[in-house]
Amino acid sequence: MKVSTKSRISFPGGTHPADKKDLSAGKEIQQGPEVTEVAVMLCQHIGAICQPLVRKGNSVEAGQKIGDCDAFVSAPVHSPITGKVKEVALRSHPVLGRSMAIVIEALAHSPTKRPYFNLQDDFDVNKYSAGQICEAVREAGIVGMGGAGFPTRVKIEPNPRLPKDALIINGCECEPYITCDYRIMLEWTNKIIAGIKLAQKASGCSRVFIAIEDNKPKAIEVMKTALKIVPNCGHIQVVPVRTKYPQGGERQLIKAVLKKNVPTGGIPPMIGVVVLNVATTAAIAEAVISDLPLTHRVVTVSGEAIAKPGNYYVPIGMSVEDLIEFCGGVTQKSAKVLLGGPMMGIAIADLKTPLTKASNAVTVLTKEQIGRAKFARRQTACIRCGRCLEVCPENLNPTKIAHAVKHNLLDVAEQYYMSACIECGCCSYICPANIEITGHIKTGKIFIARQKKKVPG
Amino acid sequence: MLTDIRVSCSPHISKHLSTRSVMIDVIIALAPAMLAAGYYFRAHALLLIGTCVISCVAAEWLCNVICKKPNSLGDFSAVVTGIILALSLPPKLPIWTAVIGGVVSIAIGKMVFGGLGANIFNPAMVGRTFLTASFGVMMTTWAVPYTMDLNMSKIAPENISASNLREFRTQATPLAWSKLAIKNELGADIYSEEQFKATFTGEVGGSLGETSVIALLIGGIYLLIRRTISFHIPLAVITSAFIFATIVYLRDSYTYVPPLFHLSSGGLMLCAFFIATDPVTAPLTRRGMWIFGIGIGAITMLIRIAGVYQEGVMFSVLLMNAVTPLIDKLCRRIPTGGKPGA
Ligand code: SF4
Ligand code: SF4
Repeated sequence: MKVSTKSRISFPGGTHPADKKDLSAGKEIQQGPEVTEVAVMLCQHIGAICQPLVRKGNSVEAGQKIGDCDAFVSAPVHSPITGKVKEVALRSHPVLGRSMAIVIEALAHSPTKRPYFNLQDDFDVNKYSAGQICEAVREAGIVGMGGAGFPTRVKIEPNPRLPKDALIINGCECEPYITCDYRIMLEWTNKIIAGIKLAQKASGCSRVFIAIEDNKPKAIEVMKTALKIVPNCGHIQVVPVRTKYPQGGERQLIKAVLKKNVPTGGIPPMIGVVVLNVATTAAIAEAVISDLPLTHRVVTVSGEAIAKPGNYYVPIGMSVEDLIEFCGGVTQKSAKVLLGGPMMGIAIADLKTPLTKASNAVTVLTKEQIGRAKFARRQTACIRCGRCLEVCPENLNPTKIAHAVKHNLLDVAEQYYMSACIECGCCSYICPANIEITGHIKTGKIFIARQKKKVPG
Repeated sequence: MLTDIRVSCSPHISKHLSTRSVMIDVIIALAPAMLAAGYYFRAHALLLIGTCVISCVAAEWLCNVICKKPNSLGDFSAVVTGIILALSLPPKLPIWTAVIGGVVSIAIGKMVFGGLGANIFNPAMVGRTFLTASFGVMMTTWAVPYTMDLNMSKIAPENISASNLREFRTQATPLAWSKLAIKNELGADIYSEEQFKATFTGEVGGSLGETSVIALLIGGIYLLIRRTISFHIPLAVITSAFIFATIVYLRDSYTYVPPLFHLSSGGLMLCAFFIATDPVTAPLTRRGMWIFGIGIGAITMLIRIAGVYQEGVMFSVLLMNAVTPLIDKLCRRIPTGGKPGA
């Protein structure tokens, strides 16, 4: 039986980049390679940076906590492998430039792979109290694994001032190329459902939605079937949403599923909503049920310049270079290596950059693709065609903001609500004049942040 | 082996769109109107189009050289300006006048503001206004379409041999008749059904490209389908002109022509789909586009009914162009999540 899953549920604006998911969508999750060295970043999340708990020369066990911080908005880090601390030193960080990392050398002959943890469906959520779940989630260092890396405990912990009502599980995966969440939904279905139940219990939400883009009918199917089999899942609803970028953006997803707007500058809990990525819910299940910290994750390696695209289960802290090599290397002389997808991913210059908890993909684009996008086409002046306005999911006026930033008129940029931009890249994607609108806006935001820092108090 | 790692800001892919492809789309959309012009006004029409395009392109090149700016011909916007200028000119216009029009359009209409994207007024309309102001008679001398039955034209000089007739014959545009009718209180019923139909196919006097409504509609629909333009401005222009014309017609259907007649003549269609939609000089926001389009429709009708000019499109576009920055300022978009802190 073929059910049509085409959905109209969506948000205004957005774009339709070619999804290119077939490169890796059919590839089962595979174990990554044995590694000899990992560099675990002390800051892999939004919030306070961890302090190292180990020193050069210390031996560490797989799963041992090696960095932590007392701040509420933070998450500890753990060693994915058994070995010895080689150094605590600066490494390239995809977002922060150079940042402190704990470099661990693997002990000879000790395995660095972690077996997948499988779950039967007879799991009982009543064994755990809400407090226990929150504590386990924090101790395991779980952060949002879809890209932003916001500490999950902060999201799910009940807050008396902002009672939570709806839990949305984000299985949209709207970025082109990336398929790790898709594979997780197909292969680790029970784990996701367990994670959902735990997150629901911890947060006290009464309604639960699993949102999946309608270009993944198989995932929708599998999820629906599993929910029928697993007991006590009657209230969990699978919501197919329209395939459109950035459908997986938190604010856009809430708009699509609940028809509610998150206030500008606000966060989802303000309207009683929690959004968790599917990979995050799987990690919650691992942490609570089996006490496994977040040290491994599924990463999609894809792009036209990769010999063997696929989805790999690898230790966090492994370098991008090792992973690419394991996938047969880059087939081109000249390419762009992205951590994340092509719309919001970060182009890295240093292949030694370690993967973080939020690295969902390594995408390698060929020179031709980059050329088509950015170098071959000449930039012209803005022709005021209004396309960027049409696609902006936040209903901003991107060209005005970019123009203001270019001329260093930060106050004008703020008048056009620059800070409301979610940096989704839709405007740059669509612009016929080839203006790097998103780039200008990001620059503007950095300037503003610097200005604010300078002002005392 | 990877030796050359590229980095840049996200996003790393982009849609196959460029300023040039947008302009080429407009040129394609203008093709039916150009063909219609060629069909009704023959070689001279094509000569005029060619002249305008070449003079626009040459003017842009020259301006860039003089100002030591990088060559900007690649975006094809000068070609579009040239075609639109040509299509808004009378078919009998001498070539040298067209050259002046083209140069003024680009040099004064566009390059003095800083080139594409910075101009306030629609360049082609600037050129046409200049020509109207300088060569008033030439700009209002309308040739008879080549395919037209000569006996149909109303204003014919006497004593001209039949062979020369076509050369010398000029014909007032349908709207000029209507103006005449208002002035002389002849009554608007001097039009037959036939003539109204003729405005759709283009077999009437008028500017090169404005006579054939069908050709313009085909082009306009192409642009809409390709999403090169949004429907807001054309719809607003046409609707507001229609409503305005209907009100007037209902009040005095003896003096004034039927509303559909206004829509199908005087370049209103050319304006709605190709001139008013010039993105550079139109507002950015949708609300702004509505205001802009309604303004153009209303001012056009006001000029036609109360002013001295017959067509009115040109001035209404320029007027609304002038207030575009203001419209943009008033119609600021509010973020999806509301104003921050509210
Ligand atoms: S999409 Fe590009 S050219 Fe069009 S209005 Fe926006 S910035 Fe200008
Ligand atoms: S302005 Fe910001 S939110 Fe809007 S499309 Fe551009 S990047 Fe996305």
